[in-house]
Amino acid sequence: MKHSPALAGLIDALRTLPGVGPKSAQRMAFHLLQEGRSGAGALAQSLAAALAAVRRCDRCRMLTESPLCAICESPRRDAALLCVVESPADVVAIESSGSYRGRYFVLMGHLSPLDGIGPEQIGIREFEALLAQEGLREVILATNPTVEGEATAHFLSEVARRHGIAATRIAHGVPIGGELEYVDGGTLAHALAGRQSIG
Amino acid sequence: MSRAVRKADLTRAYVLHHRPYRDTSRILEIFSREHGRLTLFARGARGPKSRSASLLQPFQRLLVSWRGHGDAATLTAVERGAAGEAAGSPGLPAATVMFGFYLNELLLRLTTRDDPHPDLFDAYEATLGRLAAGEAPDAALRTFERRLLEELGYGVELRVEADTGRSIDPQGRYVYRAGQGVARAVADAPGVVAGRSLLLLAEDRLQGAPELEDARRVLRAALDYCLEGRELATRAVARAVAGKERG
Repeated sequence: MKHSPALAGLIDALRTLPGVGPKSAQRMAFHLLQEGRSGAGALAQSLAAALAAVRRCDRCRMLTESPLCAICESPRRDAALLCVVESPADVVAIESSGSYRGRYFVLMGHLSPLDGIGPEQIGIREFEALLAQEGLREVILATNPTVEGEATAHFLSEVARRHGIAATRIAHGVPIGGELEYVDGGTLAHALAGRQSIG
Repeated sequence: MSRAVRKADLTRAYVLHHRPYRDTSRILEIFSREHGRLTLFARGARGPKSRSASLLQPFQRLLVSWRGHGDAATLTAVERGAAGEAAGSPGLPAATVMFGFYLNELLLRLTTRDDPHPDLFDAYEATLGRLAAGEAPDAALRTFERRLLEELGYGVELRVEADTGRSIDPQGRYVYRAGQGVARAVADAPGVVAGRSLLLLAEDRLQGAPELEDARRVLRAALDYCLEGRELATRAVARAVAGKERG
């Protein structure tokens, strides 16, 4: 069956959401236009408002509504520490751990040579500008433990070293509450290589 | 493309490239020893519950199984590759990964799907081994490029002159023209290489800087000819990365 133009447009637009195929998009559209009409109005308004207001932080590239995000503006954050992550979701994950008091830099991706994603695309200019600022002591490289994430961390560590800033890499290892038997060999190899003395 | 049933059981392979697909899956481009290059769907290979995410990374020696029809098959099993000097190691060290991506792009651009090249697979694996062992990358990359061209049927004749059939003189000066071959150089024409470099490249015994540079120029011209003017993305990114690392 052919949908009316406006309905077809809505279904198409919903498919831009991750994990939403034609079937789910159609179900969402029908819901929004029938029992969910009031919610649909609110959704349309908040979407338009967010699109107009949300931008990237001038300093760390995190999503925010002001020139600087709340973390960059906070006087209580340690300006000597800079944690580099791949995505805004990673910032949220580290913040929810409650164990970090420094600032962030969001790459919005990682080096991916086969896709032509190089230093410019991950914000190397902004990163170097931060390295040049006074008071920064340590860059913590918290990119994902994938081949591309490791390559990105290695590259950024070289750039940091050239600026005379110490670079550290987050540890990889066995998850808390996990059982060694079920941990994959690569992670175990990292965990063994990164072992620490106790007591 | 045929609709023939495709299947393989724990066959040797490497992941050349991967991209996310839907929420929890990946599309893999793999290079297998017995079946050549092919596309596989790896369902559930991303996300918190994935057991295969750590294995399905480039430069890891793998054993993979798949089933399917038509263009893309589905990954059904993956294990770490047979024990060897690379077993247990997390693939290439970060400093050499850029060279690994370059090898992968050459394979992606220049080999055709479903065209097995067991010797090329062995050459690829040997090159990864040399890079992982910390050898100077230049000689290892040149050997791989020469083998790749030979396997594709674009091998460069490095021991005799193309037009006269005379043996290459180690003391002689030569030029290489893509698609034609090696000819004796007239005076000091641009792009002149030493006969000695050509012979050392043919024997995989490249060492000195001038010979490596000569070999790089010859193979670059031959590869560019095969690529028909297409730029390699990894070359551009590697240049940008090297520029930033040096400052």
